[in-house]
Amino acid sequence: MRDDLILGMAGAGGDGVVSAGESLLKAATTLGYHAMMTKSFGSQIRGGESSCRLRLSTRKVLNPGGALDVLVALNWEDFLRFGAELPLSADTVVVYDEKAGPARTPVAARGLVLVPVPISALAKQAAGSEKAKTAVVLGLLSGWLDLPAPAVLKGLKQRFASKGEAVLTATEKAFTAGLAHAAANGWAAPKALEKPAADAGPKLLCDGNDMCAAGALFAGVKFFGGYPITPSTEVMQILSRELWKYGGAVLQAEDEIAGVGAAVGASFAGKKAMTATSGPGLDLKAELLGLATIAELPLVVVDVQRGGPSTGLPTKAEQSNLFAAAFSGHGDVLRPVLAPTGVADTFRLTVEAFNIAEQYQTPVLLLSDQEIAQRKKAIDVIDTSTLEVAERRVPTMAELAEKPYARFALTESGVSPISHPGLEGGTYLAAGIEHDEKGAPTSGGAMHAKMNRKRFAKLEPLAARADLFELTGNPAAPLGIVAWGSTAGVAREACRAAAARGLDVKLLVPYLLHPVADDVYASFFASLTAGLVVELSHQGQLYRLLRMFTDVPSSVRSLCRSGANPFSPAELLTRLVELKGVR
Amino acid sequence: MGCGSLEASDFKSDLKPIWCPGCGDFGVLQALYRALAAVGRPPHEIAFISGIGCSSRIPGYTTAYGFNTVHGRALPIAQGVKLANPDLLVVVAGGDGDGFSIGGGHVAHAVRRNLDLTYLVMDNQVYGLTKGQLSPTSLKGLETVTSPLGSLEDPINPLLYVLAYGAGFVAQATPADMPGMAALIEEAIRYPGFSFVNIQSPCVTFGEEEQQLRAHKAKLKPLAKLHHDPSNPLAALDLARAYGRELYTGVFYRNPAPPQPYDALVRLRQAEQSKLATPRAQLLDTWLADGRGKR
Ligand SMILES: Cc1ncc(C[n+]2csc(CCOP(=O)(O)OP(=O)(O)O)c2C)c(N)n1
Ligand code: SF4
Ligand SMILES: [Mg+2]
Repeated sequence: MRDDLILGMAGAGGDGVVSAGESLLKAATTLGYHAMMTKSFGSQIRGGESSCRLRLSTRKVLNPGGALDVLVALNWEDFLRFGAELPLSADTVVVYDEKAGPARTPVAARGLVLVPVPISALAKQAAGSEKAKTAVVLGLLSGWLDLPAPAVLKGLKQRFASKGEAVLTATEKAFTAGLAHAAANGWAAPKALEKPAADAGPKLLCDGNDMCAAGALFAGVKFFGGYPITPSTEVMQILSRELWKYGGAVLQAEDEIAGVGAAVGASFAGKKAMTATSGPGLDLKAELLGLATIAELPLVVVDVQRGGPSTGLPTKAEQSNLFAAAFSGHGDVLRPVLAPTGVADTFRLTVEAFNIAEQYQTPVLLLSDQEIAQRKKAIDVIDTSTLEVAERRVPTMAELAEKPYARFALTESGVSPISHPGLEGGTYLAAGIEHDEKGAPTSGGAMHAKMNRKRFAKLEPLAARADLFELTGNPAAPLGIVAWGSTAGVAREACRAAAARGLDVKLLVPYLLHPVADDVYASFFASLTAGLVVELSHQGQLYRLLRMFTDVPSSVRSLCRSGANPFSPAELLTRLVELKGVR
Repeated sequence: MGCGSLEASDFKSDLKPIWCPGCGDFGVLQALYRALAAVGRPPHEIAFISGIGCSSRIPGYTTAYGFNTVHGRALPIAQGVKLANPDLLVVVAGGDGDGFSIGGGHVAHAVRRNLDLTYLVMDNQVYGLTKGQLSPTSLKGLETVTSPLGSLEDPINPLLYVLAYGAGFVAQATPADMPGMAALIEEAIRYPGFSFVNIQSPCVTFGEEEQQLRAHKAKLKPLAKLHHDPSNPLAALDLARAYGRELYTGVFYRNPAPPQPYDALVRLRQAEQSKLATPRAQLLDTWLADGRGKR
């Protein structure tokens, strides 16, 4: 029996492996397991290959995990396209449809446990159609993994509820055929799962984009302007349904410039506003972000990263937009960049993004990525009662009575009270052009310098926000890992594994990437004889950002590579131990 | 504040315009003051959005809430303002380059969405702020610093463009007829939906002789005098084709039965959907794995 299991499934687009994964996820969650599912697609719209990975565990799941324990391949071509996303180890049990023919290299060459099953034939026999293949697969898995059949079947039937009685009956028959096949054909290697703890408590089943939209609603967003782009579109889709209920509006604009432009306009009008996009869209928004910076308008910009540059790898995760998030656009700009590391904290960080935007009157970049955004996970119910929601500082009646109202007053904190159209006594000129305290355009160098200083100074308190950093492990540890975004989960698990091996490894996960919190890194690096900054980008953009703004000792190295090829916890530890040996 | 209690001077700010003496935009500003006074909304209930260009400086010269944004994006930004607060009176302004070159892609969408806002283009057939380059409304053959051998392009026709996408109110004005321009701007603002006024606003520094005030005075033809019926869209299209040859002033087209503007529909939707709102503390229940929170 095992307490943790990683399952991968691959098939053609129409096979429904992703929906099968979702049914299984749902079943496992209701049974009390911790579970996470990531999907991966080819870039074809329909058809093409699709795959999912499911991790089921009796313990908290920190990341999608490394090599698969079980692979289900409906055909070899489609599986082979997901090499990096569905890695095999010497212990992987490979279940495949007999119809796909004998296992191909490299699967065949590795001496893995191969379990051919006449999946298509069973489906045809039981349900009258090969379309019921995934129902057979779920029956097999329910049997072999020892997941109670009624729960799995319920999840499966929910998916087909709208398809009518005949389909439901056929689906159930196919499922039962799979179950019977599993009972009659045991495995050599035991892969059955332990029973989960009874007190697992209620769970939310959601992905990062769900939690981004939910966080925005919680924070009180009133306007969304955007343009569809994978893998961010679901944020817009959810808000298109929900936002009206809360007195807000959504505009599907003609392009990303118009989308962010409308959001800037809504913010000028006094409302909490946001946009969501991915790399190519972020490129287009750059000029408007500069406008929001100089006009000091709150704005949340979500960038769900995918591989770049240009169209790049539209359906794969990469952490290569950090430079663009922090720096895209001209002029001296200090743009806060936040990064969630998983589904649950996407909620909190979205709320935080709004808080920082409103409090400091600035655009804030929230850097998610495809893996987090489209990763379905069963998470503990989020306690929202302790979360604060900040509002922008609107001028008081007394401040408005003082004429004329100085919208860009040079205050000690750098934050000046902001009025909005509709507010009597608060009229002012907002502009992309440099301005004085009252908003009058200027081209004077002295005023420009003052205003630049103001716009930077107001953000200084951010770097001191301890809650925007996660520090775990022994503070004096000689080994350390810095990881952000979706890579942080892998690093957390690597640290858990290190502890089990008696290695003293500490971990720093920054949720605030920019401005760079000098002190946080200096004290983290101080004890290290070997350290790694781990990220999924060819350049290692966080590592380079740190080199730019803080002292990175030579004992700390970058561990980075291009996207669509996630790290495994074991790999991190191996590299860290190697590095330690070198020193 | 009720109608009539405001004077044109209530809309004049303390900023001194940077325009060249004699620039047509001064006239536009004066006409706008008058129109706003006639409409009677107090300055703080007005959001005045512009792009970049000489003409786009105009919001700063009024006492309304102004937003002098970036080149070409005034329309999307203004739509965000209006959607965020439909109670506001939203006026958008800019130049021919701002509106029909860099921002040209946004015009069709602003028109088809039909938010209740007024778009004033100060069309001087040239790039003023950047000192005299070719504009999308410059006539073919025009010699400018970027077309020293004469332009090889036909100009865009702003009137046809906006009419063709179905705008409910399309007019043309010139500072050569100040009372006419003030009345047109007022009428555009009062129109419930997207309204467009193409203003032939002379650039005295880089503009051509035949585009100056004196020439305008000599050749302007009020549509009213031609007995044009502004409720006739085909007649409007036909007259609009003369852009660049004839200087027609007045209303080309006014939809006699304006549909509900987008912002009004948004309000209806918000009112209807508000019944389905979840208290903040229960927002996440929708995602409960056991399906309890599904609505
Ligand atoms: C993105 C961008 N490109 C170019 C410019 C430079 N620029 C400023 S105004 C302008 C054209 C102005 O012409 P128009 O819109 O007709 O306004 P006018 O000055 O004639 O009133 C240009 C090209 C800019 N500010 N921003
Ligand atoms: S350059 Fe032309 S458009 Fe600009 S202010 Fe001078 S006259 Fe007016
Ligand atoms: Mg011009």
